[in-house]
Amino acid sequence: MPRAIKGVLVECDASIRALIVRIDSERHDVVIQELDETHLLIDSTKVEFVKNELNRLLAKNTYNPLEEEELAAAN
Amino acid sequence: MIFNEKPISIYDFDSWVKSNGKIEQMEAIRSIKSLHLLKESNEICILNPVFRKNLRNVLTGSEIGVSFGIPCDTDDLNKVDIEFLDNYASKKWETILHFMVGTELNEIPSAGVLSLLRHSGLMDGKTPKAMVITNEGFQFLLQDVNAQLWALLLQYLRMAESLQMDPVDVLNFIFMLGSLELGKDYSLSVLSETQLNMLEDLRDYGLIYQRKTTSKRFYPTRLATTLTSDSTTLRSASSAMNNVIKNANDNIGSNIENAGSIIIETNFKLYAYTNSPLQIAVLNLFVHLKSRFENLVTGQITRESVRKALLNGITADQIVSYLETHAHPQLRKLAEEQYEKKLEYDANTKEKLHILQPNITDQIKLWQLELDRILTWDGYLFTDFANDSEYQILQTYAEEIGVLLWFDHSKKKFFVTKEGNSQVIAYANRKLRKK
Repeated sequence: MPRAIKGVLVECDASIRALIVRIDSERHDVVIQELDETHLLIDSTKVEFVKNELNRLLAKNTYNPLEEEELAAAN
Repeated sequence: MIFNEKPISIYDFDSWVKSNGKIEQMEAIRSIKSLHLLKESNEICILNPVFRKNLRNVLTGSEIGVSFGIPCDTDDLNKVDIEFLDNYASKKWETILHFMVGTELNEIPSAGVLSLLRHSGLMDGKTPKAMVITNEGFQFLLQDVNAQLWALLLQYLRMAESLQMDPVDVLNFIFMLGSLELGKDYSLSVLSETQLNMLEDLRDYGLIYQRKTTSKRFYPTRLATTLTSDSTTLRSASSAMNNVIKNANDNIGSNIENAGSIIIETNFKLYAYTNSPLQIAVLNLFVHLKSRFENLVTGQITRESVRKALLNGITADQIVSYLETHAHPQLRKLAEEQYEKKLEYDANTKEKLHILQPNITDQIKLWQLELDRILTWDGYLFTDFANDSEYQILQTYAEEIGVLLWFDHSKKKFFVTKEGNSQVIAYANRKLRKK
């Protein structure tokens, strides 16, 4: 008999997939199965966590022009 | 099924439908089931008896129901046309919107409207003068008219209970309004006490028109007749904004041109020549505003400010089109000059006129894409199939009923939606256990 696993299907591009796998490598409780290049099956309770982590990781690599100004103003 | 009292076997459905219409069939059954119109037990279907009786009545016209309203028999001496109704409705509705953003108005909305705004949390403050718009209120302004109406009507429904009005009656009336015909007059004779009370409030929202409070007839306006449909209402979301802003500027009587007050530089710095509180408020939704002068505000569009707007449900396209429609004439002239040069160089160019610098529009859209980098679906992954044919049977079935989201032939795995899971499992039990 086949088996049905409950979870959340995630579709994303390869770079994001790599990030999710990296998030999982620290905790091992996020990704249930890696399906293919652009799909992952993850724990349904971890979706929000993954989204937040992704935002945090992606935000690291952006330039915020206001920050500089505010820093300048603070000095 | 409408005229046949007996329950029907689920397999009969299949014989009514061509095999290539299977997905549509499943969709239809699913939607009437979710409305509790169709009950299924032991593979036998029963239509809800009340629904069946009423639908039969409507189709044959045997009993007169009130669900579609009773048109007036006699001619109205003071007949009004559709254009008048449209004007009337938008005037009423805009009065409410203007009041919300604090435009100086000659007439303020009635007490009923005010308390509704207060209870729905769209505005704060005790006296009409002191009322100010809340955060939810701003988001409300950006929705399209239909959504706004429903938000208010739902709130009305909640309030109705505390006012000792029968919510069923209220809801009935709202749905009835949705099925009335624009430009026709309807009689008050079939309305209940509660519904007569409602008339007064609905008049204040601009959903219906009555010449006098004592009049025996009412006209539904376009706001009312489009309640239950998604056809074009008086105006769409963004044009609603434009309208409001246009009128706001007119009302203030400033000499600023309606369209054309925003300059945006390629470094995302933004200057808006305006003193309209509404326009500044709208800009504040997606711009990091820095300083404000007598007739000018300056600010910067940043990733954070755009993300904030996107998270509030405003789309990148909306932002771009807002900036384009309100671009300063100078900006427009520059864009047109560039465009003409391009045309001289290559007359057949397919490019459209870009009022905003392309890097601005692209970046705003990129920020939106960044937000939905991942798409997620709840559901179930089917794996561990014993052989190819088992996999094939179930996967084809899941695809047929339109619940298949992902599959991999070689690994013999597929993923179905949460809603479709029970159907696939039931099917699997029927098919695979037999063997």
